[in-house]
Amino acid sequence: MATTTGSSARPISIHKEYRKSVWLHLGEAFLWVLLIGIAVIEIAPISWMFSTSLRDPKNSFDLPPDFWPTALHWQNYLAVINSPDIEFMLFFWNSLKIALIVTGAQLLTCSMAGYAFGRLRFFGRDILFGLFLASLMVPATVTLIPSFIIIRSLDLMNTHWALILPSVTSAFGVFLLRQHFKSLPEELLDAAKIDGAGYFRIYWQILLPLTGPALSALGIFTFLASWNNFVGPLLFLRDWDKFTFPIAIATIRGYMGSGNQSEVLAGIMISIFPLLVFFLLAQRWIVQGAAITGLKG
Amino acid sequence: MTSTALSDDRIDRQANPQKGTTLARREAWAGYLFATPALLGLLVFTALPIVASLVLIFLHYDLLTPPKWAGVENVTRLTSDSRMFRIYWNSLRLTVGATFLNNVLGLLLAVGLNRAMPWGIRYLLRTSIFFPVMTTTASLAVVWRFLLTQDRGVVNFLIGQIGLDPVPWLSSSAWALASAMIYDVWKSCGYLMVIYLAGLQGIPTVYYEAARIDGAGFWQQFRNVTLPLISPTAFFAIVISLIGAFQIFDNVWVLTEGGPGDASRVIAMYIYEKAFRGFEMGYASAVSFTLFIILITLTMLQFLGARRWVHYE
Repeated sequence: MATTTGSSARPISIHKEYRKSVWLHLGEAFLWVLLIGIAVIEIAPISWMFSTSLRDPKNSFDLPPDFWPTALHWQNYLAVINSPDIEFMLFFWNSLKIALIVTGAQLLTCSMAGYAFGRLRFFGRDILFGLFLASLMVPATVTLIPSFIIIRSLDLMNTHWALILPSVTSAFGVFLLRQHFKSLPEELLDAAKIDGAGYFRIYWQILLPLTGPALSALGIFTFLASWNNFVGPLLFLRDWDKFTFPIAIATIRGYMGSGNQSEVLAGIMISIFPLLVFFLLAQRWIVQGAAITGLKG
Repeated sequence: MTSTALSDDRIDRQANPQKGTTLARREAWAGYLFATPALLGLLVFTALPIVASLVLIFLHYDLLTPPKWAGVENVTRLTSDSRMFRIYWNSLRLTVGATFLNNVLGLLLAVGLNRAMPWGIRYLLRTSIFFPVMTTTASLAVVWRFLLTQDRGVVNFLIGQIGLDPVPWLSSSAWALASAMIYDVWKSCGYLMVIYLAGLQGIPTVYYEAARIDGAGFWQQFRNVTLPLISPTAFFAIVISLIGAFQIFDNVWVLTEGGPGDASRVIAMYIYEKAFRGFEMGYASAVSFTLFIILITLTMLQFLGARRWVHYE
């Protein structure tokens, strides 16, 4: 391998060329096998879940398993939605409400702070921004207990505010949007200032419309993180009717006991469905968003 | 990192011609106003908890009765907590395994997807691989529990088809942690794939063209072009995924609940249980600070080590 750099200077023999093309094809073949193999492994459990959720409850777990639907027992889904034990619509609404508020709040607070740190000059700016950066490196586990105590002393236990307030801003979002506001040309803002635009107008009518991709990336990541938040509801919520989707799903086995397994899976399918729709619609933004965050990190 | 992030401002280096004027004062006021909402959130829900958790280390506090001064008792107790060391050993194995597999798989999948292929196939593959990342761990783990059950589980049925004995994936102490690791890699490698994909798309194609003209084959292109140019992304991905893996909580919680015994208990679960089941807030804070110190040390070591392998243009 060490001599490969010199080999280009020598004329390449046919034998060598042939060997190279064999390696090239082997590498290509390996990547294809890996890609398709992993893709199948990644999607198979979800596909199995979907197929089993449509089986007649009598034979939900008969082997061999189905990896695509062979029965269409939609009654399982109706049974879940109408079940007296679980209130899917309520949990769905709880999660959706929290996720939407958190996403809206983060887009607002992070973009405002991003504008201040990226585009305005004031005393102590860099020290304050340094605080945001430093807080990115503290593991969430460390602040778990004091957060619990703070929420309790604010009398927010067992309310949805306990999940919303700690997430109204994020250092990650501030950092992300600051980088984007900084990358916009200075001339643009100068022109706006000459035209008499105030700070709020510059922020609202010039900066925000120009950072669409970054804002939507942050929005998607925030929505997902809020929807999938697991530890928060586990810590702060007590009443069954306040629970969010993930917790309800995790306890569903306990509630339904040895009950109908196909129905349990139908319930999970219903809980995944909004994310599936969301993902198919937002896929382009997600990949772009990761590109943005990956490079700026 | 901080210093470069803060001093990359072209405007900063110019002298501010309006310093001390009304305009500069107005700009400063606007700056404070715009930063205030985020700053408040940071102070109350991040900075205050960090300070509070430092104080908690020196207290006995069960959430119900007023806290009592504990001195260094919680700290000395750490040294004799053999259960914590066993659980750290689990966390270490899970972290090393999951970080390694997630990054290797993520990079290979990204290299695979970053080649010319029909749009529909790319969409299908990318969606399939990324889908578990999007989905709630709680619901997926329910499915995985069904898949991994010993007697009627799908995985044991499938490996039985090729003539292997059923494996007690979740119920044996030999396999529980490995099952959690397999689950984590299954769940997260798509996330790493997207990060690496973003990095790969930033590599100018001229490098590959030049390498091909020089007669470089597939492996040589990967080794001499892709790897050096992806190294900043890889560094970011490894740092992030290592910190994340040490804090894994729900992926294990919903699958095995730490069992059997302590076989798959990880440190974040131990902290949670000490705090909210044993109500020993002070001691739980002390344990969480050991995690903090470990993570800071590992991250710093990685930054030092990065000089040897991370290639910036």
